[in-house]
Amino acid sequence: MSKGILVDIPKCIGCESCSVACKLWNELPWDSQEKNKTAEDRAKEPNKGLWPDEWTSINRYDVKKNGSSVGRYVKTQCFHCEDPACVSACFSKALKKLPEGPVVYDQKLCVGCRYCMMACPFDILRYEWKKAIPGVSKCQMCPSRVTNNQETACTSVCPTGAITFGDRDQLLAEAKKRIKDNGYVNRVFGEKEAGGTSWLYISDVPFEDLRFRTDVTTKSLPSYTEGYMKLTPFIGGTWAAVLAGLYIYNNKNKEPLE
Amino acid sequence: MASKAGQVKKLSRRSFLKIVGGASLTGVSLSLAGCGEVATADSAAGGKGWMPAQYNAPGSWPTNVRGRVPIDPLNPSIVRDDQKCILCGQCIEVCEKVQSVFGNYELPIKNEFVCVNCGQCTQWCPSGAISERDETDKVFKAIADPNVTVVVQTAPATRIGLGEEFGLPVGTNVQGKQVAALRKLGFDVIFDTNFTADLTIMEEGTELLKRVKGDLKKPLPQLTSCCPGWVKFVEYFYPELIPNLSSAKSPQQMEGTLMKTYYAEKKNVDPKKIFSVAIMPCTAKKFECQRPEMVSAQKELKDNKVTPDVDVVLTTRELARMIKRSGIDFASLPDDQYDQLMGTGTGAGVIFGTTGGVMEAAARSAYYLVTGQQPPSALWDLTPVRGMQGVKDATVNIPGIGNMRVAVISGLANARTVMDQIKGGNAPWDFIEVMACPGGCEYGGGQPRAAAPPSDEVRNRRAASLYQIDAKATLRNSYDNPQIKEVYADFLTAPMSEKAEELLHTTYISRASEFIAKKSDNM
Amino acid sequence: MDIITTFEKEAGKKHHSLRWRFRLTPMRLVFMAIAVAAIAVILVRFIFGLGAATNLNDQWPWGLWIAFDVLLGVALAGGGYGTCLIIYVLRRDKFYSIARSTMLTSLLGYIVVVLGLLIEVGQWFNFWRPYVSWGHTSVLFEVFWCVSCYTVIQILEFCEVATEKVFRGLHKYLKKAMPVLLIVGITLPTLHQSSLGELFYIMVGKENPLWWSVFLPPFFLLSSFFVGAGMIIVESSLAGKAFNHKVEIPVLRGLVRISGGAMILYLILKIVDMAVKGTFANAFAFDLPSILFLSELLFGVIIPIIIAFSSLSGTRKGLLWFGVLDVAGVILNRFDVVFTGMGKYLNQYGGHYFPAWTEFIVSLGLVSIACLAYLFIVENFNIIEHRGTEAVEGTTTENGDYAVTAK
Repeated sequence: MSKGILVDIPKCIGCESCSVACKLWNELPWDSQEKNKTAEDRAKEPNKGLWPDEWTSINRYDVKKNGSSVGRYVKTQCFHCEDPACVSACFSKALKKLPEGPVVYDQKLCVGCRYCMMACPFDILRYEWKKAIPGVSKCQMCPSRVTNNQETACTSVCPTGAITFGDRDQLLAEAKKRIKDNGYVNRVFGEKEAGGTSWLYISDVPFEDLRFRTDVTTKSLPSYTEGYMKLTPFIGGTWAAVLAGLYIYNNKNKEPLE
Repeated sequence: MASKAGQVKKLSRRSFLKIVGGASLTGVSLSLAGCGEVATADSAAGGKGWMPAQYNAPGSWPTNVRGRVPIDPLNPSIVRDDQKCILCGQCIEVCEKVQSVFGNYELPIKNEFVCVNCGQCTQWCPSGAISERDETDKVFKAIADPNVTVVVQTAPATRIGLGEEFGLPVGTNVQGKQVAALRKLGFDVIFDTNFTADLTIMEEGTELLKRVKGDLKKPLPQLTSCCPGWVKFVEYFYPELIPNLSSAKSPQQMEGTLMKTYYAEKKNVDPKKIFSVAIMPCTAKKFECQRPEMVSAQKELKDNKVTPDVDVVLTTRELARMIKRSGIDFASLPDDQYDQLMGTGTGAGVIFGTTGGVMEAAARSAYYLVTGQQPPSALWDLTPVRGMQGVKDATVNIPGIGNMRVAVISGLANARTVMDQIKGGNAPWDFIEVMACPGGCEYGGGQPRAAAPPSDEVRNRRAASLYQIDAKATLRNSYDNPQIKEVYADFLTAPMSEKAEELLHTTYISRASEFIAKKSDNM
Repeated sequence: MDIITTFEKEAGKKHHSLRWRFRLTPMRLVFMAIAVAAIAVILVRFIFGLGAATNLNDQWPWGLWIAFDVLLGVALAGGGYGTCLIIYVLRRDKFYSIARSTMLTSLLGYIVVVLGLLIEVGQWFNFWRPYVSWGHTSVLFEVFWCVSCYTVIQILEFCEVATEKVFRGLHKYLKKAMPVLLIVGITLPTLHQSSLGELFYIMVGKENPLWWSVFLPPFFLLSSFFVGAGMIIVESSLAGKAFNHKVEIPVLRGLVRISGGAMILYLILKIVDMAVKGTFANAFAFDLPSILFLSELLFGVIIPIIIAFSSLSGTRKGLLWFGVLDVAGVILNRFDVVFTGMGKYLNQYGGHYFPAWTEFIVSLGLVSIACLAYLFIVENFNIIEHRGTEAVEGTTTENGDYAVTAK
């Protein structure tokens, strides 16, 4: 059963327990400069506050609701697409979608072409530009926990229940229930976006105001290049055969060149 | 070299095919062999266990990570170093269970992080991740400026806490050394907040009697207002009880106001050039001094260039840091005296530093204010209001008024229960003292960390030290303080006079619109 | 500055006179200087990481090196397979005179691409991974296999030339293998030229719709085909100066016409594409992307078509203009796909990228190395003067010097 995580944006109080838990579980080092940035600062950063050693970030957006300004905290990390563009873009199988849900990365297999970063529909992947031997980095969705029937590190510490770990199907139903009960925006971000993602978001303010990529395609991204890649061997073979035929035909009654 | 060239010539068709064929075979087999290699859950980046170093325990240790409270990055009182946080959940424990703040508001939040600035989380945090917002640099800068008169006041409770930062036993009274250290650090004038604690009693006691007698159309019970964490708690959760709060300012704010008015006038100092510092056992005081109401001197003098009544609040821990940073050998300092004019306090003032102290001081004064006589011995040692119970109940008999039911509360969760009772209309009390921190200021959010989480044992030792100062004091009644008599005679005329109202009393605002409070279970 | 440096290879001396020559001219010294600077930067990149040598960042993971060294390098080197197709498969023998030089340019282009890629990827030592871990869903997988195999094939094809001079014993085997090499050597580039375009198809919604298209593969394929003629003209006029050798006008004109035909097809496809996507409004919005898009088509396609099918293509000047515009158009196109097309999306929250000077140096350095290699090979192997009708052995002068000595 594919696991997922439901983010109930209105329930988040911005304590950032989750991002600290991520640091603690994954042994990610702290950066003195990044550490001092606030959730509001990070919301304005081009990188959404994610950098190679920061796999998840809480960003604060001040939005208008019923005429008054309210602050909303959005947990940002890899969405773990059901059919991930990065996995399909990786030509050395360094990225993989596990059946349990996590999209994981193994630096040992990585060549470092960064096509995954270009392909990612949510621009989540980060690169260790400062390292001589760099790798890609992103949230792994705690594969060693999830595959052992434990919840992810971040969800395990959320004090308000803003992030819930569970079976994606059940969470989707729960999300729709909460939307109905609480009068949220009628959209589960991640249900269909990019062909569906393991992380699901619900919100009481428009997703557009929270720097979500709301215009993202609902088709799975690998489906865009799937046909091309399947056809390539046949086209190549046919083309080679045609060339060979032409070669033989054209060279039949002629002096060979050279 | 020659032979190499010869080899080249000899390369036959067969060996050429061998090389090409071999290379192809190797390639094909390599491809097929490695075809399955792919990232897996085990080979994936990321952790395999909670970072053991953070917990000082083996990686297999079943760590209980529970999250933490939110802290506004702009919080004037406390800051958190994420790098030190181990998500142990102690801050949630104290904020939710002891102070009943966290978890007592509905989600989503609107704009504000609900926080009463009490700083108890800094005392409970076992890794030192949560701390007071350090403002020592501002004070060092003011001291270094020759054009500025830096006037400092020290709260009742700092004298029995500061010593612990320098290895002295818990509760050691270091009043004299504290003054000496401040002098050495370069503060120009050193006053004692005990003086304004006495002044608070005069104002608050007078207000109480007016309420009881019906001269003042304000409801009973009167609630004390000297704890800024408590005041903010009422503003958040019980805005309908704001009229019950005494309008008297806290001693810190009274002292600050008087520094820039009374002291400036008396000593002929330009109030614009007074930098007012308060050494407090409290982080909420950092918030209080920034409240927009706390600019009485500016209003009184009608001069926008006069800064707020208290410019900077330093916690006891910050003062200790200043002393350490300046290389002062605290333990060997000789005792020094406070500067006069506002440097004398009574025993009634000093016990403000512990839970029940304000009540005891108020009872003594009320008795005097009503009867004109010294109170009986029972009021000199009002044991029912002493000790570490969360809610204490007592009856004080004052001739002419009768029996007054009083309550003493410390810890905001305890206060919440009593407030719900008041709202429910079944509260028998006339006067209630509330301190946000369990045990009162002596274990306030800005006091030295003696144990995490704080223990009643430490609280009792600190309280005992304060009561001992009171017991040994020659003056134990606020109205006996000669400087109180002086300030009323020379400057304020009388308690709750027009001038006193203007300078020593304040107003409160409802913060109910900042968030949605959770419906109380008791209601 | 007409120093002639002659290297003598000791081993060769014993069997037959084998001399290597390389003239040092001021231009070549400049190339060498740039190459040395580039190598220094490359060392910095390997020791301190990509961040130290480039302005690449998390918003712009692909920059100048991908756009210039890879996309453009492959496209500009695309002349090789086109010429092969025309000459060897379709047997248009009149173009035979340019076969070797075109294929040499192509080979050097691909070597630059491969070197560029090794510098560009983060874990260069893992370059072989895709051979064993088949990420076969990735378009890049296709590009990787095709480019690497094609480079090997081109090296073998060049060996056919090289063995005229060294390791002569192998020459006959290579000659026998040539038909297979040629056919595979045309098939592979056809595939990866289109795949380079398809790479950007997955960036749906990120790539500007002016460039993002289901026709990205044919666009890239066609443009890499028609840029071949442009490259031959530019290259031959440059090489012509260096070696005092000119390709005959009818040969070039023929090529330009073929190229023009491909351009017409390209133009029609572009218009169809715009009609299908309904992006005419975007194309004529006259903002930066629209202006660049239109200039790509106008200067890179429409004007060259006019030159190709008018009398202008009968003059050297007209041909040169065709070449320059054709090449510039494709350069602009590839840069647009990587930079202009992605700019609006990647910069929307304050992302920013402009190549660092070190990136320019490396790109220029790689080109310089290719130029130096080209000059060296032309001077030492039978490339420019090669005619199909002449016997190979006959052209070998006694000291193995093929270059026409400049005045």
